[in-house]
Amino acid sequence: MTENEEYVEVERDEFRAYCVSLCAERAVMLRLMFAVDERATDNCFKVYAVFSGQNKDTFYIPFFKIKEDDPKYQSITDCVPAAHWYEREIRDMFGLIPEGHPDPRRLVFHESFPADSHPLRKDWKISETDLKEWGEGVVKKVPHDFLKVEGKGICEIPVGPVHAGIIEPGHFRFSAVGETIINLEPRLFYTHKGTEKLFESMSFFDGIKLAERVSGASSFSHSIAYSMAVERMAGIKTIEKIKAIRTFLLELERLYNHIGDIGYMCAGTALMVGQAKGALIKEKLLQLNEKLTGSRFLRGINKIGGVTKDVFLQKFEISETIDMVEEEFKDLLKLLLGQAIHVERLTGTGRLPKEIAAKLGVTGVAARASGLSDDIRKSHPHLFYYKLDLKTYTRTESDALARMMLRADEVECSLSLIRALVRRRYYGNICVDVGEIPPDSFALGYTESPRGSLFYWVKSDQDGKPFRVKLRSPSYCNWPAVPYAIPGNIVPDFPLCNKSFNLSYSGCDM
Amino acid sequence: MWLEILNNVRSRKKAIKFPKTFQKSPDEVIETVTPVKKMNKVFGKSLRIRQVDAGSCNACEWECNMLTNPIYDVQRFGVDFVPSPRHADVILATGPVSRQMELALKKTYIAMPEPKLVISCGDCALDGGIYKGSYATRDGVNNVLPVNCHIPGCPPPPKTIVKELLKLMRGISSGSYPPKGS
Repeated sequence: MTENEEYVEVERDEFRAYCVSLCAERAVMLRLMFAVDERATDNCFKVYAVFSGQNKDTFYIPFFKIKEDDPKYQSITDCVPAAHWYEREIRDMFGLIPEGHPDPRRLVFHESFPADSHPLRKDWKISETDLKEWGEGVVKKVPHDFLKVEGKGICEIPVGPVHAGIIEPGHFRFSAVGETIINLEPRLFYTHKGTEKLFESMSFFDGIKLAERVSGASSFSHSIAYSMAVERMAGIKTIEKIKAIRTFLLELERLYNHIGDIGYMCAGTALMVGQAKGALIKEKLLQLNEKLTGSRFLRGINKIGGVTKDVFLQKFEISETIDMVEEEFKDLLKLLLGQAIHVERLTGTGRLPKEIAAKLGVTGVAARASGLSDDIRKSHPHLFYYKLDLKTYTRTESDALARMMLRADEVECSLSLIRALVRRRYYGNICVDVGEIPPDSFALGYTESPRGSLFYWVKSDQDGKPFRVKLRSPSYCNWPAVPYAIPGNIVPDFPLCNKSFNLSYSGCDM
Repeated sequence: MWLEILNNVRSRKKAIKFPKTFQKSPDEVIETVTPVKKMNKVFGKSLRIRQVDAGSCNACEWECNMLTNPIYDVQRFGVDFVPSPRHADVILATGPVSRQMELALKKTYIAMPEPKLVISCGDCALDGGIYKGSYATRDGVNNVLPVNCHIPGCPPPPKTIVKELLKLMRGISSGSYPPKGS
C-alpha cells in the first residue's frame, strides 16, 4: 500500500451509500472498479472501487467483502453511472450479481460462452467441448439482444466485426431513418484474450511484456502503468534519470499518436493529402522510436526498476527529428484548417455533451474536448511531471473538431516537454536494484496514455507471484460514451466520429 | 515527350525525395528481393489483400496501415488492401485468434473466391506468442486456417511485411507455396 491510496473497508450493504456520499463530498469520479477472488485466504470475494478527483492527489478506495453463497450486492450504477460496465464485467468474470443493474446482458462474453462460468475465479475450469463450441459460435443461451428501435422508415444497419478498413473488430448496430442515425449500439469484446487471467500465470517481471501487448499504439503507457504498480508495491524507488527517460518516451508516444490521429481523421473526410502528410510525420516519429529503442512501438525499453537503454545519448537525433516534426506539423495544421470541406465536416459532428461525459467517467482527449479538465499527469503527478511546465487544455465545443484541435494543442505541449527534458542533464544509472516482490501486497499504477488515464492494480500472493492484475485502459471507459455522441449524425459521419475518439478495441476487450 | 518519359524511367527518378533521417530508402531494401518480372507474370501486377484482425493488439494493423503511406507505398508493387473478401486473393490475419473472433475469421475466409492464400502476420499469429495458453485464444492462425506464409515480428515493421509479400509472390511462381486451401 502506498501513501496516496486510502483503503476503507465498508459493509456490503453500506457500499452504495458510501460511494454516493464520497462522490458528493469530495468531487471525485470513479476511476475503476474490480473484484478479487480471496476465497482461499479470507473466504470471500472483495470488490474494490477507486475514486479520485482533479484537485487532490489521493485515491479513495472503498471495498467490501462478499461471500460465495450470497453473491449479491446493490448496484451503484443508478447513482454512479460510470460503474455500469465494471459491474457487468464483474458479473461475467466472478459471478457476483449487482442487484438493480439496468442491463442484464453479459458484457465480455458473447452468447456462445457457457453460462455460470466465471474465468477469473481461482477454481475456474472449462471443458474442451465448451471451449470448442465457444469458438464455433454455438449459441448457448438467449442470443444477444440489441435495442430495437421501432417505427415507420427505421432500418437497421449491422456493421462488422470485420470492417472495410484495416482496423480492429467490433460490431455496430445502427438504427437509422434515411441517413440519420437514431441509435447506435456497439458490441465489442471480439478481441478478448483473457489477458488478466494470463497475468496471473506469469511472473511480475514477465508481465511487462504482456502489458506492452495489450494495446499496440499505447504499448509504452501500458508498460509504465504496470511497472509503476509493481514498483510501488515492492517499494522500489527510481531515480531522476529513469523518471526523465520514461517521461520523455511517454511524451514521444503521445506525439506520434496525436499526429497520426489528426492525419487519420482526414481519411474520414476523404482528404487524402492530409492523411498522407500525417502518415509521413508519424512515420518519421516511428523511425525515431526505432532508432532510440529498437522498436517502432517503444517495446522492450521499459522494465521493472528502470529502462534498458539511455535514450538521451542520442540527443542530436532527437532534436533534429523534433524540429522537423514541429515544422511539418505546422504545415499540416495550416493545410487542414484551410480546407473548408474538412473543417465543416468536423464542426458539430459527434458532439459529446459535458454532463454525459462527466457521468460516464470519460477520460483523455474526449473528456478534455468536452470541457472536463481530466489529466492524471496534473491531478496525480508522477514520474517527472512534477518538474515540468504542464498545461491542461480544455475545449467546450465537444465535437470532432474540438477533439482534433485539442490534439493539436497537446502536440505543441508535448514538443515543449520533450525539449525541456532533453535540455537537462541527468546522472546515475538507468536502472535500480530490484529485490524480492513482497508477499500479500498490492498497489495502484497509473499514467496518462495518449488516449486518457490508464490504471493497473496489482496484488501479489504469499510467494510474491501475481495474484490479481486488473487493468483499465482509457478505451474501456470511453467506449460507452461513443453511442451518446452518434445519434443525430449521418451514417457516413460515423467513421469520422469514431476516428475522432480513436479508441482501442484490444485495450478495451483485454 | 516520349523520349523524356523514357529517360525518366531509365534514370529511375523517384517521386518522393527521402529526407536524410530515414535510415535507408525502402526502395533499396525492396529492390534486392523483388522479382518484379516474375511477380507480374503470376499476378498480373496485382495481389489483393483482405486484412483481418483476429485479436491482435492493433500494432500489426498500424504497420499495415503504414504500408500505404507515401514512404512504403505498397500499391506501386500492385499490392493493395481491399474492403471485401470477395475481392481478395489473400487473407492476412493478425493476432492469436481470439475465440470470439474465430467464427468471423472463418467466415471471411469462406467468402473469398478460389484460389486463395492465407498469411499470418505477427508473432502471436504464429503460435499465440505472448498469449499462448490463454483460455480465450486459439494459439495461432494455423489452428484455424491453412496458413501458406508467415510474417515474423512483433509487430513486423512495414519493410519486413513488404519483403515477405514480395517473397511470397516469388515463391508462388516457383511453386514453393502450393495454396493449401484450394
